[in-house]
Amino acid sequence: MGISGFEGERKVQKGKNFSMMTLLKNGRILDPSQNLDIVGSVLIEDDQIVEFGDDLEIDDAEIVYDCTGHWICPGLVDPHVHLREPGEEYKETILTGTQAAAAGGFTTICCMPNTKPPLDNAALVDFILDRAASPEAGGVFVAPVGALTQGMTGERLADLSGMKRAGIVAASDEGYPIQNSRIMTEAMESCVQLDLPIMAHCEDESLTRGGSMNEGAMSAMLGLQGIPRTAEEIAVMRNCILSLHTGCRVHIMRVSTWGAIEIIRHMKSLSAPITCEICPMHFTFTDESVGEFDTHFRVLPPLRTQLDIDLLMQALGDGTIDCIASDHSPHAPHEVDVPFDDAPFGVATLEAVVGVTLTKVTHPAILTPLQTIDKLSTAPAKILRLEAGTLRPGETAVAQVTVIDPDFKWIYDRKRTFSKSKNSPFHGMELKGKTMITFSGSEIYRDADYPDARYRSAQNRK
Amino acid sequence: MLEIATDFKARIIEGRPVPELKKQVLGMLFFEDSTRTRISFEQAAHYLGLKTTNFAPSSSSMNKGETLKDTILTLRYDRLNGLVMRHRRSGAAALAAKFFEGPVINAGDGSHEHPAQALGDALTILEKKGHLSGLKVAIVGDVEHSRVARSNAWLLSKAGAEVRFVGPRTLLPSSTANLPGVPYYDLASGLEGADVVMCLRLQKERMLEGDLCNPNEYAKQYQINRTTLKYAGPDVLVMHPGPINRGIELDDLVADGPLSAIAAQVENSIFVRMAAIYWAFQDSKAKEKSKKEKILV
Repeated sequence: MGISGFEGERKVQKGKNFSMMTLLKNGRILDPSQNLDIVGSVLIEDDQIVEFGDDLEIDDAEIVYDCTGHWICPGLVDPHVHLREPGEEYKETILTGTQAAAAGGFTTICCMPNTKPPLDNAALVDFILDRAASPEAGGVFVAPVGALTQGMTGERLADLSGMKRAGIVAASDEGYPIQNSRIMTEAMESCVQLDLPIMAHCEDESLTRGGSMNEGAMSAMLGLQGIPRTAEEIAVMRNCILSLHTGCRVHIMRVSTWGAIEIIRHMKSLSAPITCEICPMHFTFTDESVGEFDTHFRVLPPLRTQLDIDLLMQALGDGTIDCIASDHSPHAPHEVDVPFDDAPFGVATLEAVVGVTLTKVTHPAILTPLQTIDKLSTAPAKILRLEAGTLRPGETAVAQVTVIDPDFKWIYDRKRTFSKSKNSPFHGMELKGKTMITFSGSEIYRDADYPDARYRSAQNRK
Repeated sequence: MLEIATDFKARIIEGRPVPELKKQVLGMLFFEDSTRTRISFEQAAHYLGLKTTNFAPSSSSMNKGETLKDTILTLRYDRLNGLVMRHRRSGAAALAAKFFEGPVINAGDGSHEHPAQALGDALTILEKKGHLSGLKVAIVGDVEHSRVARSNAWLLSKAGAEVRFVGPRTLLPSSTANLPGVPYYDLASGLEGADVVMCLRLQKERMLEGDLCNPNEYAKQYQINRTTLKYAGPDVLVMHPGPINRGIELDDLVADGPLSAIAAQVENSIFVRMAAIYWAFQDSKAKEKSKKEKILV
């Protein structure tokens, strides 16, 4: 039986001459929004999902993708991407960033406000939405995150209501977190009123000043100023407490220490409206990876220790960590080939997230395939209330589908990425699992490793 | 390298010739102020017949915003044969070595390493004590910010000495698990039975506020003077890489007294730097030779 309730509508639409059928055939359909894990097919008519199920028999589809052995899941959602435009187009542009997102399997991404100038007014939100919608861009939906304070200086609140009307989905001061707790309280009160979540990078700057990497045995050996875990945990604690008492939805970005996890677990148990994310580098590398001052491992918060990774994995498994975010932070080579202390924080990750997550989390059975897709799609969509993260017909503006080959083995090569910047710590890593097709209204990405034999279009047949 | 240095020292003192590295040019890149290191490297190069060329960041293109990488690449094409480099960033010498394709001698990088200083200190200890293995060496003071402490700890522990880091909790690294030394927060127990006491300079320029409330407070607890030296072994050797904050890390009587090896440290620094330059150039020559041979084959 077909699971969709849209069959009647389909019959009506089929009468039209211009409709085009696309069939994703015989894959493992994973849709956490419906708790669905079956083998079946998904039928897309024009740019809408119309039907899916395990007994679809469609002979007249113009385009057929044979998905045998592949996952068919809702388009992936990345709550944390730096697109760098406007201002730092030499690192990334909305065009290249969205192309990289499509290649990574994402159909919806949230872009961070730390552009130059910062995204702190409605005009800039319009600019970003226009650019992202242009036909040359990657075809993914871009949901902007606005600055919390003017210029991200932590002093006066930005025009949050204006930006909300223009289309921001959350507010954040990103890497320049508000230090003053009174201003943070006001920001939360305003966001409660506007029903906007705050995305919080948690760092007590009085403890991190001058720091370059995790404070510990490795920083002591390399003679680098350490960033203590207390800097993160104190800020997580403060933001959780303010969230509990103001009722403001707070999404903690890039959690890296086991202590932060314990605080979040506790505050969630008190019903504080808190969610959090983890980034692939934080569950893949430790501070040992910095090795001989390799600036590709300079991230914020810094890479921690194996104990942290073990407990973060546990928290992913038990649901304390809600979702996985790329924190894609492109930087140009001349900024990266410098002494460690002078390098910027952050690494380019968009095109590695699926491979790294499947390799490190799904294949070792920390998460089931369905839970994995939840962390990468449905959960972030829910947190930020995006029309995404589901295969249910009509619940997204257009069909958003990602096809993943979970067993495809490949080696990540930073030279073969769409992103303008190549500062990836995953370069040379062996991965198992890759995005094969990204579909957002139409096919926006098909991987070079997707076999031609699996693709059939009406034109081919002629 | 210590053997080469000992040999060079004997030759210079006796007036015998040392090998000459003619037609080679050594670049002296001091991005951070230095008197003794720079002068001793220049003197060492002079003894070996090398030409040196100086590079001062204030009068160079670094002032126009050139990156360290580009500076290094430029120097490479300027046909410098080797570099001696000091930089305020940890890991800067490693970065230079990555792009320079020739010998780079680290004359101090941030709080990371200062290997030439450690070689000189080791030679001094060797001369005074006759051996390194089995010695108890207490490194006292601002270990967290000290490249001298790190290089000495690696070298001396490799040679079989027992290394201790002694200082207040605020000036020792929060974890010494990756460093070859044991932390002591109390001077008396740290100095107990020590054969060598190595004082470190309080690096005020690298310290954040609050690490050290008061130099006088430090002096009261950790100063090496006649009273505190009683904790150590009878023939303890007192060392300091300089420049000394007199009256803080050391008092005058000990600094200039019979147990002090500070003058010898300064003298020996020249010979170990000669050895380092000689060794680096020998090594790079061998590499070039093997490269050429490979091409011929």
